[in-house]
Amino acid sequence: MAKKDLIIRIGGEGGEGVVSAGDFIAAACARAGLEVYTFKTFPAEIKGGYCMYQVRTSAERVYNQGDTFDVFCAFNGEAYELNKHLLIPGSVFVYDGPGGDFEPEIPEGVTAYPIPMTKTAQALKSKRSKNMVALGALSTLFNISEATLKEVLTDKFKNKGEEILNFNLGAFDEGKKLAEAIEKVDTFRVADPKEPKDVIIISGNDACGMGAILGGLDFFSAYPITPATEIAKFVATHIPKKAGTLLQAEDEIASIAQVMGASYAGKKCMTATSGPGLALMAELLGMSSMSETPLMLVDVQRGGPSTGMPTKHEQSDLFLAIHGSHGDAERIVLSVEDVNDCINMTVEALNLAEEYQCPVILLSDGSLAFSTQTVPAPKPENFTIVNRKKWDGQGEYKRYELTDDNISPMCDPGTPGGQHIATGLEHTEKGAPCWDLHNRDLQMDKRFNKLRPVVNTYKPVEVDGEGEADLGVIAWGSTIGVVREAVDRMRAEGMKVKGFYPKLMWPMPVEQYEAFAKTCKKILVPEVNYLGQLSHFIRAETSISPISYPICQGLPFTPAQVIEKSKEVI
Amino acid sequence: MSIAALNKVEMKPKEYKSDVSVVWCPGCGHHGILNGIYRALSELGIDPDNMMSISGIGCSSRTPYFIKSYKMHTLHGRAGPVATGAQLAQPDQCVMVTGGDGDGFSIGGGHMPHMARKNVNLTYVLFDNGIYGLTKGQYSPTSRPEMTAYTTPYGGPDEPMNPLLYMLTYGATYVAQGFAGKPKICAELIKGALEHKGFSYVNIFSQCPSFNKIDTVQYYRDLVAEIPEDHDPGDFGSAMEIARGLSEGKAPMGLLYQTSKPTLDEKLAEIVTKVGGHKDYDLNKIVDLYRP
Repeated sequence: MAKKDLIIRIGGEGGEGVVSAGDFIAAACARAGLEVYTFKTFPAEIKGGYCMYQVRTSAERVYNQGDTFDVFCAFNGEAYELNKHLLIPGSVFVYDGPGGDFEPEIPEGVTAYPIPMTKTAQALKSKRSKNMVALGALSTLFNISEATLKEVLTDKFKNKGEEILNFNLGAFDEGKKLAEAIEKVDTFRVADPKEPKDVIIISGNDACGMGAILGGLDFFSAYPITPATEIAKFVATHIPKKAGTLLQAEDEIASIAQVMGASYAGKKCMTATSGPGLALMAELLGMSSMSETPLMLVDVQRGGPSTGMPTKHEQSDLFLAIHGSHGDAERIVLSVEDVNDCINMTVEALNLAEEYQCPVILLSDGSLAFSTQTVPAPKPENFTIVNRKKWDGQGEYKRYELTDDNISPMCDPGTPGGQHIATGLEHTEKGAPCWDLHNRDLQMDKRFNKLRPVVNTYKPVEVDGEGEADLGVIAWGSTIGVVREAVDRMRAEGMKVKGFYPKLMWPMPVEQYEAFAKTCKKILVPEVNYLGQLSHFIRAETSISPISYPICQGLPFTPAQVIEKSKEVI
Repeated sequence: MSIAALNKVEMKPKEYKSDVSVVWCPGCGHHGILNGIYRALSELGIDPDNMMSISGIGCSSRTPYFIKSYKMHTLHGRAGPVATGAQLAQPDQCVMVTGGDGDGFSIGGGHMPHMARKNVNLTYVLFDNGIYGLTKGQYSPTSRPEMTAYTTPYGGPDEPMNPLLYMLTYGATYVAQGFAGKPKICAELIKGALEHKGFSYVNIFSQCPSFNKIDTVQYYRDLVAEIPEDHDPGDFGSAMEIARGLSEGKAPMGLLYQTSKPTLDEKLAEIVTKVGGHKDYDLNKIVDLYRP
């Protein structure tokens, strides 16, 4: 298979401009009509520490961060040390030298291009221009359109004045000159520019914020937590433009409580957090379920438990999201595959909360939080916005009225004749506290039965492939994108494999799981957690006996890992 | 709250009673406070359709059930932030929280400073009986030193807190204290709190004849002393001095402090004005910011 994509990794000290250099490359590729998927890791420390930014770009859709880089650009010795084991034959190594803080050994079969980034920046009397020198060199070496990159830089720096802009462009040109003096011997190059597409380039967290705004959100309350805080920042920036409210609460309990109060008072509401925050919110999830108050939250999962690995990727909150509360507290749990889902499924999650009057949890994860991806530009007018069923003002109002679809109309405070209580106590149709056995059954059934249709009304689980297969791979969250590519590559090798990509995690579409498993001899479930949490639910809820493949090292899967495991178990 | 924005209605105090029977023990001080609430609502002519009555968990947190209004009975300690969200969602409504000393200052204590300093436009009536009644008599943050109770058979090890000092320090813009045995004064203080624009806090001593055998009606009668008429409620220093009275064996009764500051909903509305926000904002403008 001819290589269509290129993966460039930049590593260096936090604060050296690694992230901005990566962002500029990503933006230039996207502007040139290419698809982009970026992947970043950074330390939990405030300043300094190793920071890595990887851009994968192709003329065709990119589903994940890839197996490993083709080109590695090291800004310093630490970045080299941490990545030298990945310098495999065929890869290209661009590094700060001579004059950098390290003297690398170039492994056999690796092409190395020294670029004196620090020295050149020093000559320009600005350490901060190091990343611009690197950018100029990378542009020349790997066919990243110089014109487009300069457009991006101009847009970025023009507000800071002519002098700063020209200085950065000058540093870029210095890097370009250095690269031009080098004889290129590798064949890696970014695909040629195409007709620009109607896309945006946005991170998973910003995309959740955008979905919230597009989904008609009125009220957002949150408490800062890595890696979810950017959602609150996005909403804080944009929700006042549509006269909505963002509040930073004193803790996660308060944030979800404020969301519940505002929802009761008629607003479309949400919060966003990560695992530790979700754990604190668990009691309110029970109350949302009992009082049937619509409530939506995004959980950007991170390495746990406790403070764990707060800046690292993990998919380990499925247990907490599905069953985390006290008593039997039914809810809807969704998970996103990519940044595009972060937009669309935030809208869907808000809709589901309103439609079913229950907690809805949208699971994202640490790798998507900061991954920027090209996605089709959303069209605000194309989104369907669902609002809660409202009381028609006729007859006596009963908040928890038993209806055919088990969904009782709501009534905003201020409505004449609609006075009622939203309560965490077990209650009658009118909301009065009640411990009567028959009433208890009726209300419990109501709260659970109202959610049963979701497995049929929510979009069906995507099945990747047709007919019989030797292996079916079930994946959730951002692992789906990895499995898509793995399945594709295995098929190209002649293997009979299929994929199954659930996004509705709870209630579980059991029949769809069963139907898929019937077409596969074996089922493999790769997921980034220790216990194999989805495998657990598959065993508990279906007749399937999956082969669990959990990894838990703070990084997403690579397609190569999934392929290797598939070959092992098939 | 913003009384001016509401439709006033003509209703007698008893017409604010809901059809749910009051569940408190005979002799409980909460009956007196509830009557004070009915009277305050009637005097202000608050339309029950425009009122949200919100509580957490505890004996006093049952209060919303007994009042004609929109209402929420939430979780232990969480009435404050739930009410904050409800108030911000409907800033023209009258929002009242009722709860106890354990609910407000123990499990919910983390929320109190923030409601006060943010000046959330709601009224918090705290029924202070120095005991956990619903769980049958454990010592609370306002229990007297060395109180012997359910979990303190040898006497409690803690010093009690002084809610008034806390609320003044936290930045509450209306701080008052009453006693359930003086329902007229309670009604006046609650009325003043409901009329006040901003976070208003009313601490009301309430005897628990079932589980707090030491803080009797007579004890409270001897404890409370009306704040001198010449006290200026705008004088923060003087309010702090009066609030310290409890440590000298007397508890002040009346309005300690009142000041005027912008409320949280007003501040949030200012942000919307600053960015020129409106419901029909063209969302394409936000999408376009993310074009490469």
